[in-house]
Amino acid sequence: MSATGTYNLPVLPTVLRRAAQSVPLVLLVSVLVFALLHAAPGGPLSIYLENPGVRPEDIERLRRSLGLDQSLATQYVRWLAAFVRGDWGFSLSDGRPVAQRMLERAPATLELVATSLVVALVAAVPLGIRAAVRRGGWFDRVTGVLALAGVSLPVFWFGLVLQLTLAIGLGVLPSSGRSSAFDVDVVDRIRHLVLPAIVLAAVHAAAWSRYLRSSMIGILSQRFILAGEARGIPRRILLVRHALRNAAGPLLTVVLMDAALLVSGAVVTESVFAWPGLGGLFTEALARRDYPVLMAFLMVTSVAVIVLNLVADLAHRRLDPRTQ
Amino acid sequence: MRFAGGLLGALMLAACAAGERSGASNDLLIVGYDREPDTMNRFSTHILEDIQTCVVEGLTITDEHMNVVPLLASEVPTLENGGVRLRPDGGMDVTWRLRPGIKWHDGVPFTSADVKFTVEAINSPDYNPESTDGFDRIEGVDTPDSLTAIVRYREVYAPYALQFVRGALPRHLLEGRDIDGAQDYNRNPLGTGPYRVAEWKTGEYVLLERVPGYWRGDSLPAIRRILFRFIANTTTRINQLRGGEIHVTALVPWDKYREVRDVPGLTIHRMVGNSYEHVTLNERAVEAFRDVRVRRALTHAIDRELIVRTILDSLAPVINGPIQPVSWAFTDSVARYDYDPAKARALLESAGWRDADGDGIRERNGHRLAFTLITQAGFAVRENVSQALQRMWREVGVDAQVRLVDGTSISGLWFEGKFDAMLHWWHMPADPELTLFFASDRTPPRGRNINYVNDDSLTRLLYASDRTVDQGSRRTLLVAAQRRIADLAVEIPLYNVTRLDAVPANLVGFTGNPTNAGIFWNVHQWKMRTR
Repeated sequence: MSATGTYNLPVLPTVLRRAAQSVPLVLLVSVLVFALLHAAPGGPLSIYLENPGVRPEDIERLRRSLGLDQSLATQYVRWLAAFVRGDWGFSLSDGRPVAQRMLERAPATLELVATSLVVALVAAVPLGIRAAVRRGGWFDRVTGVLALAGVSLPVFWFGLVLQLTLAIGLGVLPSSGRSSAFDVDVVDRIRHLVLPAIVLAAVHAAAWSRYLRSSMIGILSQRFILAGEARGIPRRILLVRHALRNAAGPLLTVVLMDAALLVSGAVVTESVFAWPGLGGLFTEALARRDYPVLMAFLMVTSVAVIVLNLVADLAHRRLDPRTQ
Repeated sequence: MRFAGGLLGALMLAACAAGERSGASNDLLIVGYDREPDTMNRFSTHILEDIQTCVVEGLTITDEHMNVVPLLASEVPTLENGGVRLRPDGGMDVTWRLRPGIKWHDGVPFTSADVKFTVEAINSPDYNPESTDGFDRIEGVDTPDSLTAIVRYREVYAPYALQFVRGALPRHLLEGRDIDGAQDYNRNPLGTGPYRVAEWKTGEYVLLERVPGYWRGDSLPAIRRILFRFIANTTTRINQLRGGEIHVTALVPWDKYREVRDVPGLTIHRMVGNSYEHVTLNERAVEAFRDVRVRRALTHAIDRELIVRTILDSLAPVINGPIQPVSWAFTDSVARYDYDPAKARALLESAGWRDADGDGIRERNGHRLAFTLITQAGFAVRENVSQALQRMWREVGVDAQVRLVDGTSISGLWFEGKFDAMLHWWHMPADPELTLFFASDRTPPRGRNINYVNDDSLTRLLYASDRTVDQGSRRTLLVAAQRRIADLAVEIPLYNVTRLDAVPANLVGFTGNPTNAGIFWNVHQWKMRTR
């Protein structure tokens, strides 16, 4: 124990141990994903079949040129050998490097996910606290119903409803896209961000607010809170400095683990709002069975989940010494 | 709490600021496009070439009536004008005379050397174009002068007039280079058309801007910029159209027609297409389909008029064969199978299919008359039509199970022949070739004969039509082939895939186009009428 009373176990060995443990996991994921993608009917050449101008000889020529005539094992080993060297290959769709295609799209997704994260937290924290403080009251009951609705809403449906009301009906917001083609400024970017960010944030805000409410109810009934009240500590300080601080640890863990879900949720949101991010790229690649892009996307998200889990663990340890 | 309220308030305030929502004008036309192009190289892309058509012009193009008309060529070569010569050795020479004075956008003259380079590049093992169709039958190109290219074919090739419909590759830019990897060209092609690519913002849009000094006249095109926004989600695209955020969208789905037909300032242009919806009957997979009486019975059992009237809102006409009314080879003088359930039942009885056990489904030799009908998932009209077919067949004692399959998977299934029956459409080539779809030796992987029909007389007719250059003689052969296909009831034709294109009501010069040339084929003639 340090002089300040917190535990400071070394972080680096933990990180290294977890990283080493993750390697076989990532390999296993890559094998499974590769096998699943290739097991799905159709393939990268399916899209050519609709065009009568593309002859069977062309299909065979394209199959050879894309290396699809090789055995699956050979294709996997080749992909893996290149991937670990940092060569993510070329898109089967437009022939450009996969890394370039993903880097082009990543900023839009990060912008959307980060904004949604902030919006969800900004909504969830005050709602969760107030619902806990007014437990059983009308505010608690109303937010409970709203949270249930938020968790239950299909993202695409909610997105279309917002488009129809705010964009088509009232005309106060653009219905989709990341920006206007011309006269792009901060206001224009924010206007385009509002609807997709709200849609993506809604589910998580609903879940997190109820999660925080439950944690806060547990903490507010503990003796140190009662002692604080007895000593005349103002309610606001008690709530924020003492109760919320204790509830923040578990919430942070949930938020970090859900951050990966935000990326997967972005796939649907980006489709509904024509948002030019990684989700749209994934949908496109899936339709065209663009294996290199799909593999890269799924590997990046798998690694992101592992990393976020590790960060959540470390953060939890830091905030709650009991977990050490 | 107050902070949260403040932030949301700020967001809403920003939201309410004035935004981009202006009508179409001669300065800017915004097109909602259903997908981002893979490449702007017309020879490499496997997506409709609407955007590329505005930039890269062909030697010919198909007009709104599907006639092949000259573009960069001064005329379409024919036997009559001496542009086509049939050689005694069975080959064919086609002489292309180029329009004088045409220049690439960089100012370099467009010449016959570019035509020759294009043929050589496409036939080179170093380049992977989408299709080598026709090019692989060319043995060489002679260029006696800069405006004449004589294309020498090893054999007679009837669709020669469309050989260079995708234009030509600029020799001075691409010679000696890896064309597949030439991203400068593939992202921003050099063309001779009315527009060039000003910006391609990945995932968002392609912006085209007018090229000064366009060869048809300095005043053309009238519209200064065209913005193609990529909006893959159909509902979102239609919402943008309704909200005025986009001005044009091609191929409005039929089930969205009612949502857009009354939008002020919008016209829904309706045009008979060069595609047709039908049911393919896989004779290899289902033994019952090999009996022509069963195929005829299945066709008689379907009330196509009712389907069109109810599910399709009368937007598409019933058709009776694979060649569509927009084609010069079309004939309606073929056997018809009108809705007649009594006749369907009689045909099935005569073929030995009877309902012996009284369960409503016919049997023969212990086998039930049952099959699976696959169709594309997520396509509301098609899902509804498949259910209607299921019900109508059930009424004559046939059990069809509907299975919905995603768009990519379904292509794989039919290419491998792993289906019983399929509800789908074919987009027919601009040249009315049927060989690929019905000749007995063109079953997958050699072709698209996925009915697995095997009829010698039909196959002979089809190959004869491929070797006939004279349009009148070729039509005679294709008419005979259409009659044979109808007599055999090879497949069940349902309705024409009518195009619905949404454009501004004050857009002048828009004609539409039923072929892959797309609606932008005459974009240089488009103009917004101002009050």
